[in-house]
Amino acid sequence: MKYFLALFVTFTLLAADEAHEIIKKLDENMRGESIYMSLSMKILSMKHLREMRLESYSQGTKKSFVKILYPPKDRGITFLSLENQMWQYVPKIERVIKIPPSMMLQNWMGSNITNDDMVRQSSIVEDYEPKIIQKSGTVVTIELTPKEDAAVVWGKIITNIDTATYTSNKDIFYDDEGKEVRVFLYEKVKKFGKYYIPTYWKIQPSDKEDSYTEILIDEVQYDSGISQEYFKKSALKRFSR
Amino acid sequence: MFSFALKNILFYKGRSLTTFVLTFVSTLLFVVYVSMMDGSHKSMLQNAIKIYTGAIEIYHKDYRDIGGNEYLIQDTSAILKKISQIEGVEAYTSRYETFGLLSSKNNSAASMVAGIEPEKEKSLSSISEALTEGEFLTEKSGNCIYMGVELVKKLKVKLADEVAFIGAASDNSFAADIFRVCGIFKTGSFEFDLSTSFLSRDYFDTLMLSKNKASYITIKVDDLEHVEAVNEKIARVLDDNLESLTWKTLMKTMVEAMEVDSIFGYISLALFLVVIFFVIMIYGFINVSSRIKEFGVLRCVGISNSNIFSLLFYEIFILSTLAIAVAAPIGGYICYYYSINPIVIEGIAEMYKDYGIISDEIPFDFSVFTLAWNILLIYVLNFLSILYPYFYINSFRPIEASRHV
Amino acid sequence: MFRLMLKMAWKNSFARPARTVLLIIMIAVSMSMMLGIQGLYDGMALNIADKNKRSDSGDVSIFAQEYRINKDIKFRIKNALEIKKELQAMNGVKAVALRINADGLASTARKSSFAQIRGIDLAEEELFGKFSAFLKEGEIRLDKKSAIIGIELAKTLKVGIGSKVIFSTQDTRGEINSVALKISAVIQTTNIILDSSTVFVDLKKLRTFLGLKKEEATQISVMCEDQAVIEDLKIKYQALDVKSFFELQPMMQMMEEMMLIFNSITFFIVMSVVFVGIFGVMYVSVLDRIREFGIMLGIGMQYRYIRMQIFLEAIFIGAIGYIGGALIGLFLLMYLREYGLDFSSFADALEMWGYEAVIYGTIKVSYFTTTFLAIISASVLSVLIPLRKIKKLNPIEVIKADK
Repeated sequence: MKYFLALFVTFTLLAADEAHEIIKKLDENMRGESIYMSLSMKILSMKHLREMRLESYSQGTKKSFVKILYPPKDRGITFLSLENQMWQYVPKIERVIKIPPSMMLQNWMGSNITNDDMVRQSSIVEDYEPKIIQKSGTVVTIELTPKEDAAVVWGKIITNIDTATYTSNKDIFYDDEGKEVRVFLYEKVKKFGKYYIPTYWKIQPSDKEDSYTEILIDEVQYDSGISQEYFKKSALKRFSR
Repeated sequence: MFSFALKNILFYKGRSLTTFVLTFVSTLLFVVYVSMMDGSHKSMLQNAIKIYTGAIEIYHKDYRDIGGNEYLIQDTSAILKKISQIEGVEAYTSRYETFGLLSSKNNSAASMVAGIEPEKEKSLSSISEALTEGEFLTEKSGNCIYMGVELVKKLKVKLADEVAFIGAASDNSFAADIFRVCGIFKTGSFEFDLSTSFLSRDYFDTLMLSKNKASYITIKVDDLEHVEAVNEKIARVLDDNLESLTWKTLMKTMVEAMEVDSIFGYISLALFLVVIFFVIMIYGFINVSSRIKEFGVLRCVGISNSNIFSLLFYEIFILSTLAIAVAAPIGGYICYYYSINPIVIEGIAEMYKDYGIISDEIPFDFSVFTLAWNILLIYVLNFLSILYPYFYINSFRPIEASRHV
Repeated sequence: MFRLMLKMAWKNSFARPARTVLLIIMIAVSMSMMLGIQGLYDGMALNIADKNKRSDSGDVSIFAQEYRINKDIKFRIKNALEIKKELQAMNGVKAVALRINADGLASTARKSSFAQIRGIDLAEEELFGKFSAFLKEGEIRLDKKSAIIGIELAKTLKVGIGSKVIFSTQDTRGEINSVALKISAVIQTTNIILDSSTVFVDLKKLRTFLGLKKEEATQISVMCEDQAVIEDLKIKYQALDVKSFFELQPMMQMMEEMMLIFNSITFFIVMSVVFVGIFGVMYVSVLDRIREFGIMLGIGMQYRYIRMQIFLEAIFIGAIGYIGGALIGLFLLMYLREYGLDFSSFADALEMWGYEAVIYGTIKVSYFTTTFLAIISASVLSVLIPLRKIKKLNPIEVIKADK
């Protein structure tokens, strides 16, 4: 009996460890030590499709720099986020503007992503407690529940991870009451060096059928040694061109 | 009976005079009080409508609840064309409102920025009159921004300074520009002055890609009394996805507040009227009881109860009519006078500015209908006051009464 | 002799019972209605002021200079704890509450709204303003994660008891931080700012979260026993922004003044009409008995006795009317205080103005004393003219005249 109990405890511990391990690997795949991406976004809202292209440089969880390449009207707009603060540079008006916290939670340029997603996307490892709820083949379904003190709005996230590549193919975000709020779908996993990343993402809000955001990743460079110059406030202007 | 009543009135001078005076006072009080109450409520609402809210506004459904670019009115000019043909519509304009971040060198503030048609706006709202510094917008004023005084303070800017704007255009794409402060306004409503600024639509539409789109259309009617009828006509020509609402819905809390205030006003009035009613009744009663003998004799000689009732009725009727005939024109004139030349209480607007009251004036309301029902009510009260005395007399048998001392 | 006078006055008062009773009813009804209205109006004004004081400013509040304009924790009171101790040691200070306020954004998975976070010490607030009385739903408690939310903000965010709310704001270093809160209670204070935009958390927790020091706060509110303390505080803390309740809420002062004026006018009008009523009855009653008085004077009774008797009569009627009015009025006021007048259908509007949907009355002893004085003086005054008539009497003529 004692032996059985010990086995059970080890097993659950192992399972918990396994879940942690999977989430950690997933996070590494999404981020590397540093990552450069060039991507295009298609945003459908109000029966109207918009397209944009941007470059993103990020290092760890606290530093990221984004630059818009297309459409021409918005070309050169840059964003910098450091330690939960965010600035924006608009070449047209030649101003650097600090984004107040209230604006950070609004939808980012009409997409279904909030500024907050961009700034704090990192917290998946630190803020959530993962639990494996289902396994079928290489695909593991993990339920992520926010930790006690984690400042996240979601009630839980359910993610399907393919352990062959440690990439997710579907994340479902739930609110506090357990109702579905939005779904992230991932496809077209590609390998870059030692990392795997899905190159097609689709974000679908659950209560709005006629609105979605698609992201196509055109180019990825992991651990390419992004210059620290990108993570200074002076970068906003300097790399705008 | 009528001439008999007249004689009685002249004979019992004390009672007649008191009844006359009391009726006069109550009529005057009533008429003036109601007129003042209605008048101040109306002016509050009218002022509120004048600032920015229209008598009728047309929205895309759900814009008011959810908001955002998805619920903009799309083909504005077609709708405006339809509205222009509706009778009772005096003026109309469309507005494009959006929330964005305005920043000066060191400060920033979220603000509602509205694209307006300056010329049309002049006849629809009082924002152009609220100007305190600089000048109001024109169609060709370009990147001129017309800003609330509290917002100006918050951003720490002055006339001719630049403010940066970032926000989302009507297709949710990125919008940013530099505006120049050309005018500063103060409506007196703190919230409004803190959170609102305006640009000419001509310029703003190019930036926001909002040509021919609108957050809503605001309409001024010829006569506010007929707003419901006009609204119905408008609703009939609109598509299903649009709704047209009158100020009664748009400013529901304010309308309700006025109603509550009226209820309290009427409670107080009821107190005055009840007291006066009692006094009139007491005088009538004293008068009647001193005439019990007389009534006894009258009934002994064969005058019927209904004749006695009509005698009392005529008495009170003559007295009331006389009093009202004097009070009504005076009261009416007071109401009329103050409806044209409102009472001014310095400082009220300052005190109540948070509630959107922007005028120190308390105009009265002059309405023949109100005057009529007020007078009618006084009549009814006076007639009621003879009931008890009448029953009192009837409780005596004629013989008994004729011997009464 | 005096007992006889009393007896006669009493008897005479009811010689014509119908009109006396009518007069008494008039006095009683108008007086009770007036009391009811006064109680209701005062109740309204008192209630709104009381709740504002209890939930927020107290009789006087102290801020750092510039805080009230900029609403930024940059402008905080550095030695709040020390000031609190000084205040508590002062005479005339009833209770002191420290608070920390910060503006930011409250959000859920679906909605977000501008809001204010306020750090409070529940035990302190309970002493200060009986905070638990504002409870609308849930349980007043602020442990590590819990928060109390204003009723309107709860509606805006569509949250209830147990819901999670994330609050984001800038700390003292200007960095944006977020904290997860679980709603433990919904409160309604009828203080518009608190109801529509405030989340309450534990003072210590917020202090740590914002990176404030132990001694610091943004607002110190004081309840006083003695209004003179306010002036003392202004002198004592000149480096800070000391503002009395009425300075913070000039509307309230205006409202109280308007209520007073309004009530006085009502009182005056009602009392003058009551006077006219008593006058009429007494006048006729004296005229009716003019022969009687003539005889009394004729048999040698002194005028002052007659005067006394008539005065007593008037006072009797006035007093009975007053007692009736006081009883009905008291009953009415107690009803209004207990159950109030229900204006639920206008709840939105009333709440916008800071009122509750049900308006409760209040009872003041002064209502009864001032009305008593007014009614008795009205009674006494009303017989002055009839008395002059008697004084001028020639007894013989009166007796002769058979009318």
